[in-house]
Parts: sequence; C-alpha cells; structure tokens
Amino acid sequence: MKITFDTLTFRYGTHTLLKDISMEVPQGALTALTGPSGEGKSSLLSVINHLWQPEDGVRITGSAVAQFKGGAVDLLSPHLNLPLLRQKVAMVFQNPTPLPFSIFKNVSLPLTFAGIRDQKKIHQRVERALTRAGLWDEVNHRLKHPAATLSGGQQQRLAMARALVTNPEILLLDEPTSSLDAESRNGIEAQLLELKKSCTLLLVSHSEDQVDRLADRIYRLDQGHLERQG
Amino acid sequence: MSLWKRLLIRYGSFFVTLLLLSGLFFFLGHIVLKGGNTLSPALLFGEVAPMDALLFKERVFEGLFPAICGTLCLVLLSVTLALPAGVLTGIWLSHFARGRAKRTLTLCVDTLAGVPSIVVGLFGFSFAILLHTLTKGRIGPCLLIAALTLAVLVMPGIIRTTEVALSTIDRGTRLRVSAMGATPVQAIFHVYLPMAASGIFRGGVLALGRCAEDTAAIMLTGVVVTAGVPYALFGRFEALPFAIFTIASEYTGPEELARGYGAALILLILCGGLFGLSACIACRFRSIKR
Repeated sequence: MKITFDTLTFRYGTHTLLKDISMEVPQGALTALTGPSGEGKSSLLSVINHLWQPEDGVRITGSAVAQFKGGAVDLLSPHLNLPLLRQKVAMVFQNPTPLPFSIFKNVSLPLTFAGIRDQKKIHQRVERALTRAGLWDEVNHRLKHPAATLSGGQQQRLAMARALVTNPEILLLDEPTSSLDAESRNGIEAQLLELKKSCTLLLVSHSEDQVDRLADRIYRLDQGHLERQG
Repeated sequence: MSLWKRLLIRYGSFFVTLLLLSGLFFFLGHIVLKGGNTLSPALLFGEVAPMDALLFKERVFEGLFPAICGTLCLVLLSVTLALPAGVLTGIWLSHFARGRAKRTLTLCVDTLAGVPSIVVGLFGFSFAILLHTLTKGRIGPCLLIAALTLAVLVMPGIIRTTEVALSTIDRGTRLRVSAMGATPVQAIFHVYLPMAASGIFRGGVLALGRCAEDTAAIMLTGVVVTAGVPYALFGRFEALPFAIFTIASEYTGPEELARGYGAALILLILCGGLFGLSACIACRFRSIKR
C-alpha cells in the first residue's frame, strides 16, 4: 500500500509539467503535496490512478510503482487493468458535485462497476462507507433523496463515501476541503485522521495550516521540482 | 451596443415570437373550428356500433377507426425499429468513433437527414419490389416495409439527439465516473444514458411526430384507402395522413371536406397524446434514475 516515484517526468505536449520527480508515499500515513496552483499536483495524482490519456498529448517517463496487498503494480504499464486499479486507488476530487442520482446510488455505483450484484452486500457496504465518511447519521432516513439536496460539506463527505465503498488501499484527495466552510472542513479533517489507520492517503492542499495539522510527510512542488519539507 | 439597437433586438425578437405563435394558434384554431363539429362516433366507426368495432367484431368501412389503428401500429413499429439502432449509433458516434470513421458516418447521417421523404419512400418502394420478385409475389408493399422506410427517415434525428445529449456530459463527470472504476460500457449504461435520457426522449418524441404525419414515404410502401384494421406485418394498412390527403384531393362537397378536417384534428389529438405519453415516461424515468 505504498507508492514510489522514481525520476518521473510528465510532459503535456511540449510543456514539461513535472521533472525528475522521486518520492515515496508510505503506508498508513497521510502524505501531503503542496505548492502553487498549476504546478502539476493534480497531474501527479492522475498518474497514480491512470486518469491521463496518451491521446491528450501526455507523455510520462521514469517509474511509478504502487505496492498493493496482492503485489506491486507498474502504474505506467500500458497493460494495466484500469477498472481494477481504480477500485484499489480511489479519488476524491476538489469539486464534490454529485451525480444526478440518489444518495444511495451515488455511493453504490462503484460496487455496481465492480460487478457486485448482491443487494444485501451492497446495502452493508454503502452503510459502512457512509459511516466511515461520517455521513450515515445525517442521511440514513433519506437515502433515496437526490444527492444534489445535500449541503456542500455533506456532498464532499458523500464523495469520500463513494471513494471508500470499494475498500481502496490508497485514497487520493485533490483539495477536498477548498470549497468548504470551517465546520465542514473540520469534519472532513477528523475523518481523514481516522482513515489514516486503514488507508494510504495522499492529500493535495494549498493550505499550509491544514497540511501542518494533518500530514505525516510533506512534499512541496514548485516549478516542476519536488522537495521534501517535513 | 447602443440603446436603439438593444430596443430593436428586444422588441424585434418579441414581435417575431408573437408572429410565430399567432400563426400556430391560427392554424390550430382553424383545424379545431372546422373539424370540431364533425367529431362523433360516426366519423370514427361509420354505421358500425362502436363496441363491435373496438372489439374487432365487425369491419369498419366508412369511419377513420382503421386509419387510427394503422397510424398507431405504424408509429409504434417504426419507433421500435429506429430507436435502438439510432441510440446505439449515437452512442458510438459520441464515445467511440474517432477520426475519419466519425467524419464519414456524421456526413452520412447528415445527408440522410436531408433526404426528402418521397426519395426515402422510393427507396422503400424499390425494396418492396425486390422482395416481391425474390418471394415470387408473396411479399409486396406492406406495413413492415412502410415502418422500415419511416424508421430510416427518423433515424438521423434520433442519432443526432442521442449524440448531442451524450456530448453535453462534461469532462469532470466523465473523469469522476472513470475514477470510480467504470469500464466505458458500464459508464454509458449506468451513468451517461440515464443522465442523457431526457434529451434522447425528446428525439424519440420528434420521431413519433414525424412517423405519425409523414405521407409521402408510406404512399409508396403499403398504405391504401381501404384495408381495415391492420392484421399482419405483411398486409396493407390505412393511415390518417393518407386519409387526410385522399379526402383533401378528392372531396366532392363541404361535408366530405369537414370529414378531412375531422381526420386532421384526430391526428393532432393522437400526436398530442403520444407526446404527452412520452413526456410522462420521461418524467417517470427522471424520478426512477434518482
């Protein structure tokens, strides 16, 4: 459940976004990635769950390996089983906009994609994920309501529940609290500290305070170069 | 932009909208006024008792009932044939087609959309002649060939509305769905199609309307003045638009012309009913997908 990058270079067209990146995201810890906007933090996350497309003009060299319970996976291999990888590496995006379905369907969709058909099992997993995201008590009486009716903070926790429902080994968080008020942000941060015990977490954040509060290891990305800060 | 330009655009667009709506209401009002008085069981069933006609116990020769049944069968059959093929082609165009293949198919679809219905009807007629020759006279112009012809006619619209409805799903949503571990096919059937359902239904509704009103295509492929209620896919049939065309071109007195207006009003009501039904299905679908 750890990730290792070695001399990774990420080019987008003729522009080199990341240059010779070497870093390790250790197991059972929260690693934070910070730095100015547009420096490639989100691109680095996209390498881990393979959300980049060679057709978009992206070229990556170097090495990126994720160590899962079942063995090591070369994240740059063209023969990756992407759906399986994305069940193990879940992601929470900056903008929590839910899909236009019910709360329940929003959380259960990754299970449908994973081929789970047993309704009882799906209900159990959804309840567990919502509980882990700290949302179960607020939504258990209205699971069939549209997810869009939730508040911003609740939508972000819903996104976390959706990411957690497949029991991922690695959780990527792309500025998950940037659009939230202080109360919602504190709730999410408390959940992250809980999740650290069972998941490898990689958090992208602009907030130095947040990174100091949460992270066990901090990297700063500036002008394509990575530097360990703590 | 200067004040007079803003005023011109504002009041000009309002005036044009008003003009169009006036035309629409004048047209609808004219049909209702002229055809409303003729609406009676006799217009639908002639001399036959309505229950006997509805239970298919007695054949209707004078009324429009067989033409209504023929139109309904034609519309349902055409849309059933066109919808799956059109939606699947729309999915392929929006998600899988790339480069020259996409450009070629898009050109073909656009060209087909611009082909006049009489030309598509001629194509159906040629197909019917071919079948007639191959089956030694057993199959000729019939309900199925007319439905196939109409399906070809409405398919470009369904393809385009499906493609456009799927294209409106933003990149952020697509990334999120991919990040959840969905394969492209799972993403389409579990997320994108339910999200685009309203747009696809709109395409279906337009196809319904086109199938119900088109006369040129069915004139050459199986519709006749008197055939009774459709009894087989390979049989001849009656249809409301053809009944209206026949009455309008051959009427001998004001009573007969009023029957034509009555038929037009029934066709409008039928189309309105089908549109309403589609809207209800779309509404129901929206509530289910939640």
